[in-house]
Amino acid sequence: MNKIVVTKSLVKTFEEGRVKALNGVNLEVREGEFIAIMGPSGSGKTTLLNILGALDRPTSGIVMVDGTDLSKVKNLDEIRAKKIGFVFQLHNLLPVLTASENIEVPMFELGLSNKERARRAEEFLRLVGLEKRIDFVPTKLSGGERQRVAIARALANNPRIILADEPTGNLDSTSGDEVVHLLQKLNKEGRTIILVTHDEEIAAHANVVYCMRDGKILKHRPSSANRE
Amino acid sequence: MRFPTLILKNLLRRKTRSSLTTIGISIGIATIVALGALMSGMKSGMEGILKSGEADFSVAQSGVSDLQFSKIAEDRVEEIEALEGVKKAAGAFMTFYPVEGNPYTITWGVNEEDLLMFGVNIVNGSSFSQEYELIIGEVLSKDIGKAVGDKLVLGQEEFNITGVFETGSLYQDRGLALSLRKLQEIEKKEGYVMIVYVELEEGANIEEICQQIEETYPDLVTIKSVAELGKVDKGLEVLDAVNLAVSFLAILIGGIGVTNTMIMSIYERTREIGVLRAVGWRRRRVLSMVLGESMLLCLFSVPVGSLLGFFGVQLLLLHPIVGGLLEPIFTLDTFVRAFVVAFAVGLVGGFYPAYRASKLSPGEALRYE
Repeated sequence: MNKIVVTKSLVKTFEEGRVKALNGVNLEVREGEFIAIMGPSGSGKTTLLNILGALDRPTSGIVMVDGTDLSKVKNLDEIRAKKIGFVFQLHNLLPVLTASENIEVPMFELGLSNKERARRAEEFLRLVGLEKRIDFVPTKLSGGERQRVAIARALANNPRIILADEPTGNLDSTSGDEVVHLLQKLNKEGRTIILVTHDEEIAAHANVVYCMRDGKILKHRPSSANRE
Repeated sequence: MRFPTLILKNLLRRKTRSSLTTIGISIGIATIVALGALMSGMKSGMEGILKSGEADFSVAQSGVSDLQFSKIAEDRVEEIEALEGVKKAAGAFMTFYPVEGNPYTITWGVNEEDLLMFGVNIVNGSSFSQEYELIIGEVLSKDIGKAVGDKLVLGQEEFNITGVFETGSLYQDRGLALSLRKLQEIEKKEGYVMIVYVELEEGANIEEICQQIEETYPDLVTIKSVAELGKVDKGLEVLDAVNLAVSFLAILIGGIGVTNTMIMSIYERTREIGVLRAVGWRRRRVLSMVLGESMLLCLFSVPVGSLLGFFGVQLLLLHPIVGGLLEPIFTLDTFVRAFVVAFAVGLVGGFYPAYRASKLSPGEALRYE
């Protein structure tokens, strides 16, 4: 399978070089893979995810996403809009918008008609099993439901890569399981999933688990699910 | 959902803050509307004075700061009338007297035979013919409840009301008129008029005649239109400047208010802006959203401020001095100006926060606590 994400000698420093968040990360993710990145707080997981998601630029090194060298792209907005879907630890939904409207937000950049946006939002809500919550604002949804709406929002522009940063971190185990199963379902449909987590049980659902410490990927192993 | 719906919903998230900002800008808009209406009223009144009835233009003393200080020797009236192309010239005197509680009643001194030229139409009774007779405007008659046959005290002297007139100008119809001689005597300005009204022969060239008058009599100035009011009324020019200054202040104060509100909003929503950028929003869309919010906030202020301005002026008019002196005119121009100011406030006040929001790096915004 094609390599959809590749990083070479990735370095990211903060505070004028005093803090080294990434220290030579080499990573290859194949299309359709479900990988988990684990590691203690401050190990560089979120920094890596932000660079993979074109939210930040590395201090040095190469990042290739779907064949595009991000260091050569001046405006990363289009990469984020079309190739990547983000799921955060906190759902980060806009509180005044309904579930459906929240899913429409990324679609503004695609130049779709109002009707088309609404139709697609409804389709994605159905995919995450929340078609009956279409007009609910986030405060009327449970934690798990909000995260599922956030996943539907990540899918809004049909990206090939989903980046999820501790998506179950704020959920109870039942809701967490629902979210992970949903990510698995999306992976089976062909989407590449890169998941950052602290939780071994959640990571076990991935094909490959990477461990990070002090800005480096120390090892990777097939997940327990794969080993079985 | 349309993009403007998102903008509107963002504003409605913090109703109290949005309402207070709207009220702040509305006060500026109300000031502009009220001042604009009062200025239009004053200009219209002045125009009524300067271009009465059938007169094509008027003549006053040059270099005066207010028309009331204009003093022209009566001989000049005859000399102007003798000019080629001039059909008739009529001198008049105008001042203000307290009448029945209204301290500023416009009072005209004119020759009886010139009344028609002033556009005075007697609707009840007859014109004045004796020294202690006068006619009053229809509006004044209603305001003070006096009619033909009643008596009216002007200064220290008592006059009989012989007629009620209308001119079509509210400003004039709130006044009264008596013989020129009598008013000159009361004002101790015998032999002088304040203004000369000139009616031209058909086909006469107004520009040439005006030029001729100003060249022959350097102490005189001609006024053909309201645009030339400044020649004899520096007060209106000052008020115009004040109006402009108030508009600028409204833009400045309103702009600072909007900037403050929007910057607070941006700080609070830093993470949210990071999310919007993370899902692919371009900088330009973030800029449009914040600018849209600030402009919508200001555009809400137009109807609110206009209503405040309108009712504020009505309240002001309840005061007898103001009510007797001013006749506000609400023109479309006043409201268009309010709209333009609100638009400018939204644009100027919202630009910096919008620019700042659009410049946020998505990664940094998402890390913001």
